[in-house]
Amino acid sequence: NLIAVRAAPDSISEKVEESIKNAEEACSGDPVSGECVAAWDEVEELSAAASHARDKKKNTDPLDAYCKDNPETDECRTYDN
Amino acid sequence: MAACTVYSTLSLKTNCFISTPSSKTHYGFHHKQIVLYTTSKRHNKRVNNPYVITCAASDSQTVVIGLAADSGCGKSTFMRRLTSVFGGTAEPPKGGNPDSNTLISDTTTVICLDDYHSLDRTGRKEKGVTALDPRANDFDLMYEQVKAIKDGISVQKPIYNHVTGLLDPPELIKPPKILVIEGLHPMYDARVRDLLDFSIYLDISNEVKFAWKIQRDMAERGHSLESIKASIEARKPDFDAYIDPQKQYADAVIEVLPTELIPDDNEGKILRVRLIQKEGVKNFSPVYLFDDGSTISWIPCGRKLTCSYPGIKFAYGPDAYYGNEVSIVEMDGQFDRLDELIYVESHLSNLSSKFYGEVTQQMLKHADFPGSNNGTGLFQTIVGLKIRELYEQLVASRAQSPVKAAKA
Repeated sequence: NLIAVRAAPDSISEKVEESIKNAEEACSGDPVSGECVAAWDEVEELSAAASHARDKKKNTDPLDAYCKDNPETDECRTYDN
Repeated sequence: MAACTVYSTLSLKTNCFISTPSSKTHYGFHHKQIVLYTTSKRHNKRVNNPYVITCAASDSQTVVIGLAADSGCGKSTFMRRLTSVFGGTAEPPKGGNPDSNTLISDTTTVICLDDYHSLDRTGRKEKGVTALDPRANDFDLMYEQVKAIKDGISVQKPIYNHVTGLLDPPELIKPPKILVIEGLHPMYDARVRDLLDFSIYLDISNEVKFAWKIQRDMAERGHSLESIKASIEARKPDFDAYIDPQKQYADAVIEVLPTELIPDDNEGKILRVRLIQKEGVKNFSPVYLFDDGSTISWIPCGRKLTCSYPGIKFAYGPDAYYGNEVSIVEMDGQFDRLDELIYVESHLSNLSSKFYGEVTQQMLKHADFPGSNNGTGLFQTIVGLKIRELYEQLVASRAQSPVKAAKA
């Protein structure tokens, strides 16, 4: 069975990838420099943003999304009583 | 007859009471208030009743809560549990910046302290500092704006955009009933710390932090075990220097550690969670297990609670934490069936719940949130109820104070 892994919106995903490459480069010279530390901090910030974006995407149920736009259809109508 | 006009310059939300005590002449003037009297006749032979004007901020004066934690440590889950205790869901401000970090519900507004970064992403890179570094944050602005909101004044708060790494144009924040400031440094600056009515620190141990970040990032392109490790290692000196020391000021600390039920466990799936509660905090009485002040170890698994391997273990007792007297409730392990949590709840006292089973009900409401089957969800929910009680007590005491002042 294949499990689809939902990735964050591509723009952030690409940024994360790029920032990791930059961080690895920045740290190759001096692993404790401010430059290196700031670069890894950027990776953390982008990874967190990507994960938040993924969560937002994941939480939308297809039927919920449809019913938001089409509340009058048979499959979406709800009455309180 | 004297006509009395009261002008308030502070804000429209202040309540002014005008009462007429029978005996003493007593004028209550408060700063920032201009009181003008106009009399129709210059010389009244008899002044009937002197007027006492007492002004207090309205009962909706904002209560400020601080939540400190590192990024990727479940702040947002905690926030969703907290806002749920007060009812309603928290949503980003409508029609504003789509990348706004603010969450607003009927009673609560949550602002992210990253919005007070003084250096944006490129600025930090040029200076070689991390977001954890105080030099990258504007504590003067943070203090001014939190103070203004607490006093009932709306502010224009900047927005730090986490996607672009830039500081966006500000958004308007109106004073809510409860303001939560969450981020890396809510208790770093002494002025901001003094504004907090309650403070919480989420303390995730290094082992668990590593396990959580693997779960979060491994699906992401470019990340590897090495890159996750390197990122944690690189930020650690600043974290230890500027973020970690804040826990000594917290009224409640939620500490998340690897389990002790399984020897040498490093999966980070089963957790030992400790709720460290400061003693002697006004309007906050710590939760206890069975008997207040005793030291107790309790394994609830047996005839009444189904537990699979490795089971559940609770502990409770008084302790010292950074020189403060504290009470610690600890839960190790996880629930198999969430509805059985009611059995545990019935043995905890001082939960500040409004009805029997409220903790379990709150947990069941959000069974899909991370941590719902272990101590993180349980203690976050309990802290949420504690904050509700603190808020209700503060509001009640403020509503009483103008009456007292008039009687004095």
